[in-house]
Amino acid sequence: MYSKQIKIQNKTGLHARPASEFVSQAGKFKSKIELQRVGEEDKYNAKSIIMLLSLGLAQGEEAVLYADGEDEKEAVETLADLIASFKE
Amino acid sequence: MRLVGKPVSKGVVIGEVLLYEPFKATPVVTYIEKSNVEQAVRAYEETRARAKAELDELEARMLERDPDKAAIIYAHREILLDPAMDEEIRNLIQNDLMSPDAAIDQTYSTYIMVLGKSKNEMMRERASDLRDVKTRLLRCWAGEKEQNLSSLEKPVIVVADDLYPSDTVSLDRENVLGIVTQVGGATSHTAIIARSYEIPAVLGIPNAMTKLTAGEQVVLDAVTGEVITGSGEEELAAYRAKAEKVKAELLETKTYLATEPVTTDGRHISVRLNVAAANDHELSGAEYADGCGLFRTEFLYLNGDHLPTEDEQYETYKKVLEAFGDKPVILRTMDIGGDKQLDRLELPKEDNPFLGIRGLRLSLVRPELFRAQIRAALRASVHGNLRIMMPMVGALDEIRKAKAFIAEQGAALDAEGIPWNHEVPVGIMIEVPSVALIADLVADEVDFVSVGTNDLTQYLCAADRMNPAVKPYYQDYHPGVFRMLGHIAKTFGAAGKPVSVCGELGGDTLAIPVLVGLGIDKLSMGLASMAAAKRVIRGLNMDEARALAEEVKNMKTETEIRARLEAFAAR
Repeated sequence: MYSKQIKIQNKTGLHARPASEFVSQAGKFKSKIELQRVGEEDKYNAKSIIMLLSLGLAQGEEAVLYADGEDEKEAVETLADLIASFKE
Repeated sequence: MRLVGKPVSKGVVIGEVLLYEPFKATPVVTYIEKSNVEQAVRAYEETRARAKAELDELEARMLERDPDKAAIIYAHREILLDPAMDEEIRNLIQNDLMSPDAAIDQTYSTYIMVLGKSKNEMMRERASDLRDVKTRLLRCWAGEKEQNLSSLEKPVIVVADDLYPSDTVSLDRENVLGIVTQVGGATSHTAIIARSYEIPAVLGIPNAMTKLTAGEQVVLDAVTGEVITGSGEEELAAYRAKAEKVKAELLETKTYLATEPVTTDGRHISVRLNVAAANDHELSGAEYADGCGLFRTEFLYLNGDHLPTEDEQYETYKKVLEAFGDKPVILRTMDIGGDKQLDRLELPKEDNPFLGIRGLRLSLVRPELFRAQIRAALRASVHGNLRIMMPMVGALDEIRKAKAFIAEQGAALDAEGIPWNHEVPVGIMIEVPSVALIADLVADEVDFVSVGTNDLTQYLCAADRMNPAVKPYYQDYHPGVFRMLGHIAKTFGAAGKPVSVCGELGGDTLAIPVLVGLGIDKLSMGLASMAAAKRVIRGLNMDEARALAEEVKNMKTETEIRARLEAFAAR
């Protein structure tokens, strides 16, 4: 298990195109990947667009990104970078 | 067999019937035997694979034709392949022994509900994507083919109960020869689309779906409003000849588009364009029009995935104003409510929406929406010849409130140093009979009026224009409608305030001579009606128009009036 705290910087949040891009990247890793809003208990399947939308992370919110599996470290680092790179 | 309905878009065509019946899912919760679990999971997987194959094929086709649509298909596939929902569906089948269709329905419905309740606009929009994917899956489960009108294999006459904007937005214009529907009249969405695409259409034929057979050859005569089946060779030949004649006639009418709408005795009748989508096709009519008599702004609210911001509205208004140069553009503030419902406003449900919070009434209870629209309009006013008009006005205090609101927004712009035209005329739609009856009292407080005949007729006749059962009571040519129009034209005319007609009647070639005769010299209509309207005006002289108007005002029934107007047109 590997994890990292991230903060949503872009205006749209983890919705629409950014969410779509995130899910398609997450799907490329073998590890189980989850997102959890800081201060909450529920973990959401980060390979699911529906789960991601239900989680609804908005600009300024913080979350923890978890991965568990053979490529966990690479998965978390790549996806954290992706979130930081969102502009719209 | 001859079926009769209302012709709403002229033309005669012969072709094969396509019965258009979009799939409606009605899953019932059923359970399976434990021994059948594996088989059920496989059936689910096959259903999902079929749905995916459909989406793949659709996307490939749309990539070149319509990239926006391809993006929607992409999003649908993303939902279909969602691992979380997939897992949930499998669990329901394997652990709860639910049948696959019930499992699909339950899983999707749960997320549709969750997303639908979200405060975020974009997420609520995703709920409708989920709904589409759910329907696709359930249809694939039922083994039914997809029916859509966006890419047809061969030319057909589409027969449907009704067509929705989602059906017509991507209509395969090359292969839809004609349209027949069971419901709908001249003012319906289908009618407007059919005219703008120049597809012959007859609407309001009850039981058309059961009386016509898929694949049979029929004649659609959208001049007389008939669908004829079982024609022999001789009859077919006669209709082919008629089709050619009508086509030539329509082509000739088209040549009138660029002419000046002037009567034989030299009176210029202002012919203006109704704008409802502000796309290039529509705005191409600007050069043939004396302005825009009705700029419907609802599309900004009804399309897209969020409420239009002030800046987005400003850009659209600017575009329309610039398209018309120095010709007047009458912007009608949002006319939401009635038949144009907007879920995302989350308004309380009303038993009688046509008599409820719509038009200006809605603007006044949702000042944040009204503010954005008025600010956008005033800011755009420096780019052309803008006029602002409010719909659904019933009394003077509403006019005063709206004008005060507009003045307030103008003052705020001044304070922010944003330029706008301080002379923007402000007027109202005349649709509610109460305000028409006090025309003399209203005249002092408005700069102009425009009559929305569709709603005026429905309120005068107390007949819901969306309810086919009361269609016989909704009478376009009711003598009361013409008397009311006469009163409006005379009273506002006497006060020196311009009167125009922007409802369906304004572009109705039979009614135009009467309107002109009643003293209405400004007509606004869709681009598709403009050439024919100019043709009528150019064949008219004022004396005969006035005499006809007098005559019609004293006729007793709509039937009598219609016969007289048809005789006049054929004179």
